[in-house]
Amino acid sequence: MEFKMIKPPYKYNEQRSYKRLLNLHIALLIVSFFALVLKAFYFESASEEEFKLSFDILRSFDSFLLLIVGVLTSVIVEIFYSLNEGTVEKFYQYKSYVDPINTGLLIALLLPSNTPIYVLALAVIIGVYIGKIVFGGYGYYIFNPVLVGVLFAQISFSTNTLVSGTPLLVLKDVLSGATTETFNLTRLLLGHYTAIAIGSTSAILLLLVFIYLCVTKVIDLRSTLSFLLTIILISLGVGYITLGQGALNFSLINLVTGLTLFGAVFLVGEAVTSPTTRETKIIYGVVIGVMTMLVRLLGDAAEGVVFAVLLGNLLTPFMNRTVTRSNKKRLIKTVTYSLLIVIIITISIGFILQGRLQESYEAMAFIGGIL
Amino acid sequence: MITEKKEFLKPKKVFIPITDEKHKMATTKVAEGDQVKIGQLIAVKYKGKEKVNIVSPISGSFEGLTQKLDRYNNITDHIIIKNDFENTYEPYDKLQGDLSSAVIRNRLADFGIKEVSVDGLFTDIDFSYKINHIVVNAIFINEPFISIDYDFIKDNAAEIVDGIHLLKEAAYAKTMTIIVDKFMDQEALDALGEELSDTDIELRVINRKKVDGADYRVIKDLTQEKLQPNLLENGVIYTTTHAVKMVYDAVRLAKPITKRLIAITGDGLKKNLLAEVTIGMPLLVVTAMLGGYEKGDLNLHIGSFLTGHQVENDSLSIKENINSINISSFTPQDEEVCIKCGDCNDICPAGILPQNIMDAELRNVNERIFELHTDECVECGLCSYVCPSKINVLEWVRRAKRRTN
Repeated sequence: MEFKMIKPPYKYNEQRSYKRLLNLHIALLIVSFFALVLKAFYFESASEEEFKLSFDILRSFDSFLLLIVGVLTSVIVEIFYSLNEGTVEKFYQYKSYVDPINTGLLIALLLPSNTPIYVLALAVIIGVYIGKIVFGGYGYYIFNPVLVGVLFAQISFSTNTLVSGTPLLVLKDVLSGATTETFNLTRLLLGHYTAIAIGSTSAILLLLVFIYLCVTKVIDLRSTLSFLLTIILISLGVGYITLGQGALNFSLINLVTGLTLFGAVFLVGEAVTSPTTRETKIIYGVVIGVMTMLVRLLGDAAEGVVFAVLLGNLLTPFMNRTVTRSNKKRLIKTVTYSLLIVIIITISIGFILQGRLQESYEAMAFIGGIL
Repeated sequence: MITEKKEFLKPKKVFIPITDEKHKMATTKVAEGDQVKIGQLIAVKYKGKEKVNIVSPISGSFEGLTQKLDRYNNITDHIIIKNDFENTYEPYDKLQGDLSSAVIRNRLADFGIKEVSVDGLFTDIDFSYKINHIVVNAIFINEPFISIDYDFIKDNAAEIVDGIHLLKEAAYAKTMTIIVDKFMDQEALDALGEELSDTDIELRVINRKKVDGADYRVIKDLTQEKLQPNLLENGVIYTTTHAVKMVYDAVRLAKPITKRLIAITGDGLKKNLLAEVTIGMPLLVVTAMLGGYEKGDLNLHIGSFLTGHQVENDSLSIKENINSINISSFTPQDEEVCIKCGDCNDICPAGILPQNIMDAELRNVNERIFELHTDECVECGLCSYVCPSKINVLEWVRRAKRRTN
């Protein structure tokens, strides 16, 4: 009997690229749904001791509208491009919608709920077209298209996407010694605070999604974990140097609010734009973590994750070029050096915030002036 | 796991390939119409000045030459021998007691016992290199789907241990290692352990459920050096228990290789089983006796899934270096775009970076390919196996490897 010849590989394991994309899709839909639901709950009385919750679905209507617009714009841009290319047949299957929907949802989730709709639409168009399609679609882009869109919106429409009174902004004032503030941990964990983005929702939910995505191998544990550890280490160290007693609280707020967890789940572990070996993945996580904390503590912006991940994306080709092989020795070396660098940066940030470096620099400049 | 076992030892005719991929030249040593006995020299194949004997697996009459497909999917010359069912053996001495290296080597050369396990990392039994380590795999491997014949180990434990010692003696090797499975049948392990107890053979346990090139790590641990694609260059003979049993038979019992235990599997067959097949028997005879094939498009795979060959026709004849045959239906998988997840980089047992090599090969950067230690690839095929986008990563690495030479 004649047999068909198939080309290798003949056997695979159960992992599939499309399955991973679909898992991410499911995770995103869950996060969007719960973000909307959690937004609909609110405290009726002003006092926080009374946990009298009320539910009003209209409170999350603007967020819902933004998510829908984000998804629709993304899909429409992709379909228009396919029409131009003559490959529109692929949109007969749901398979082709998964990635556009993911991108649209992510961009909408990364912007605050008071964003004007036209800003979001523009951000999605820029993100999907310039960030993704120009490079050749899913799998080829250098920068995460989501971040391209979000950064465009944040820079070009900075007043429209501004949120004041987020926990991280409050923390900045606390660090400078202007005020003191008490946070309610339950509210922070459930996402009941002025959030910088729709997606910056309940920490518990994001943690569950994080575990789900790690188990299904959608995101890489090494980069995300090193990112989170870096943030914890730096915030603990800086908190200890500047605040003393409040270090733990400072670290916790840095971890559960803002885009830290959302970034860890959906941005840092993203496969296409992150490096490919385990050593560089660790370095990638550390770089993003350090950059995030630098922006948060020293910069003007309230949130540094978007900038930091984009910087990580920028460094990815370089990191891929520096590795030649992967073994235990190199792994240990990478971890030790990363740890050292994180500690050094922590100490320097702490001293800069305390103003000691500034003082010593001024003293030296003074001496220099005399001589 | 297959439990059924069947014998296919009475072929009317056998077809024995006299050339193969390595040995392109061959001469026959018998004339048409001659009577041959089991173990009689019928042909010699050459590669340079190396020669390998081909002996008859059955007794009968020599019927000439024909051209047929072999297990590597090439058309080669085959010798036809018609069986007379008398099973007369060519007289050889049964060698007992302690033997010198030369005696064992001569006997193995007489019977042409050289290429007995060729897929994947396994090496030939070749004494032209300086050998330090003998490594024997007691797992009946067909990565990633593995079936194990524990009965073989249970029944032949003493022979296997003696065969390892014979190999060590012949090769002047220093260490002996046997690799067994973590989930091995207790009786088989007991039988093997009893024989191993007073010897200096080291027992290594690996987990066969994880597909991660554990045998590579064991050998790397032994040699403590960079492994070559051909392990003989590292001074390692890596072979299977079946091959060791063949060595034992040849030396102690004066029996050449006449049959081979093969796992015949796949959903394209009516029945899956372990078959003991006479060397040279065409596969189509065996499958016909099993009840033929299922309907639909099927593919025929010889050897390990990660490193074996596809063959387009079932007329090939069984050789001693075939350990498994898979006939199954398939669904064509579309290759997707590389998502740079780095799974191939994590799994590579040699510790090199297949994704980066593929990238460099696509960009035609020779320097980078050289820098990435591409020459260390042993072509185990694990990178293609784990790829979630179904990219044939191994083929890209192979292409890159050709540039380094």
